[in-house]
Amino acid sequence: LLLNINLLNGASSPGKPVILKCRSPEKETFTCWWNPGSDGGLPTNYTLTYHKEGEKIIHECPDYQSRGPNSCFFSKKYTSIWTIYVITVTATNQMGSSASDPHYVDVTYIVEPNPPMNLTLDIKRPEDRKPYLWIKWSPPTLVDIRSGWLILQYEIRLKPEKAAEWETHFAGQQTQFKIFSLYPGQNYLVQVRCKPDHGFWSNWGHENIIQIPSDFTVNDTTVWIF
Amino acid sequence: CAGGAANCRLSLQDLFTRAVALSDNIYKVAEDAFRDFQKTYATGREFISRAINSCHTSSIPTPADKDQALNTESGTLLNMVRGLLRSWEDPLQHLTTTVRDMKEFPADMIRRVQEIEYKTHQLREGMEKIIKQVEPGVINDDIFAAWSGLSSLQEGDKNSRLVGFYNLFHCLRRDTNKVDNYLKILKCKVVHEGSC
Repeated sequence: LLLNINLLNGASSPGKPVILKCRSPEKETFTCWWNPGSDGGLPTNYTLTYHKEGEKIIHECPDYQSRGPNSCFFSKKYTSIWTIYVITVTATNQMGSSASDPHYVDVTYIVEPNPPMNLTLDIKRPEDRKPYLWIKWSPPTLVDIRSGWLILQYEIRLKPEKAAEWETHFAGQQTQFKIFSLYPGQNYLVQVRCKPDHGFWSNWGHENIIQIPSDFTVNDTTVWIF
Repeated sequence: CAGGAANCRLSLQDLFTRAVALSDNIYKVAEDAFRDFQKTYATGREFISRAINSCHTSSIPTPADKDQALNTESGTLLNMVRGLLRSWEDPLQHLTTTVRDMKEFPADMIRRVQEIEYKTHQLREGMEKIIKQVEPGVINDDIFAAWSGLSSLQEGDKNSRLVGFYNLFHCLRRDTNKVDNYLKILKCKVVHEGSC
C-alpha cells in the first residue's frame, strides 16, 4: 500500500550518490565527502562502506558525525597508509537503493594540511641597518613535524591593500621571513600557506594587515645622476 | 685521507642527509613516472581496481601508520628499508630493459625509469653504510621479496601488458614513498634524538 501511495506522489528510489573527495590533513586521519544526489522525495538513508587492501571484511563508516553532513571521518584507529581503501556510498529509501561508483583512495596521496596559524607582523628597526617587515607564523595544529612523519614547507604572499598582484616568496621549512623592500605609508596584506614534503598546498591562512610607516625608507637605493 | 679509510667515513648525520635527499628525489621521480603512465595509457580505465594486492613487496611486513613506524626499533626499520630496496633491484632492472626495448614508451618515461634504477642502487649502498654505523656487527639482511612479474610485462595482449606495467609503477610509487618516509623518521630519531 505504501509503495502505491509513493508511486502516486511521484516518489522514487534515490539517485546515485557521488563521492567527491577524500583528504588527510596530517597523514594520520582522513575524511571523505559525498554528494547525496536525489532523495526521490522520501526520507533517505546514506551508508558508507569500505574494504581495505589485504582484507576481505567490509566495514561501515566509523564516524558520520565529526566532519558534518555527507561525510565520514576515519580517526587514527581506522587509518592505514600505503593501503588502498575501496569506498562506496549507498543511498536507501522505501523505494529502493542506489550505490555510488567505488572510490579508490590511498591516504599517502591525499595529504593536504590545514593552513598555518598565528601569523604575526612586526616592523623591526635594527640600529644602523635597514628596517624590515618581520613575518612569523606557526605550523597548523595537529601536524607532527618533530618526528619526521611530515615535513612542511611554507610560502608567503603580500601586497599593498589596493594592488592587484601578490608578491610571493618561498620560505622553505622556516617559520619566519624578513621583507626589506616595501612601499612606505601603504597598508600591506600578508598570508601564508604550507605544503607537506609530498602532498598538496593548504589553503591560504588568515589574512593579516600592517601599515608600513612613512619613514620606512631604504637609503641605499638613492642614485645620484650628474 | 690521513689515518686510513676507517677515519674518513662520513658522519651519520651526513649519511642520513644524503640518504633522505636521495629517497625524496627517487619518490618524486617515481610519482612522475606513475602519473605519466596513468595519463598516457590508463585514462578512463579502472587499472587501480586490478592493482589491489598486486605488490610483490606486500609479503614484507612494514609499519602502516605513524605510531607503528615510531614504535619500530631503528635497526629493524633500517633493515626493512634495505629489504625493500633489495627487492626492487631485480624488477627495476627488468623494467629498464623492457621499457627501453619497447618502442611505444616515450623517452621521458625511459629516462625516469633509468634514473630510479640508478639512484635506488646508490641509496642501497648508502643504507649499507648507515646500517654499519647504527648496528655494527649485526648482520641481518634476510628481508627480501622475490618478484615474479616479468611475464606480465611480456604478455602478447597489449591490455594485459599495460596492467602489468601499471601495477609495477603503482607499487614502485608506494614503496619509494615508504622508504622515504621511514628514512625521514629514522633521521629524526637517530641523528636528532627524536625531535627534528
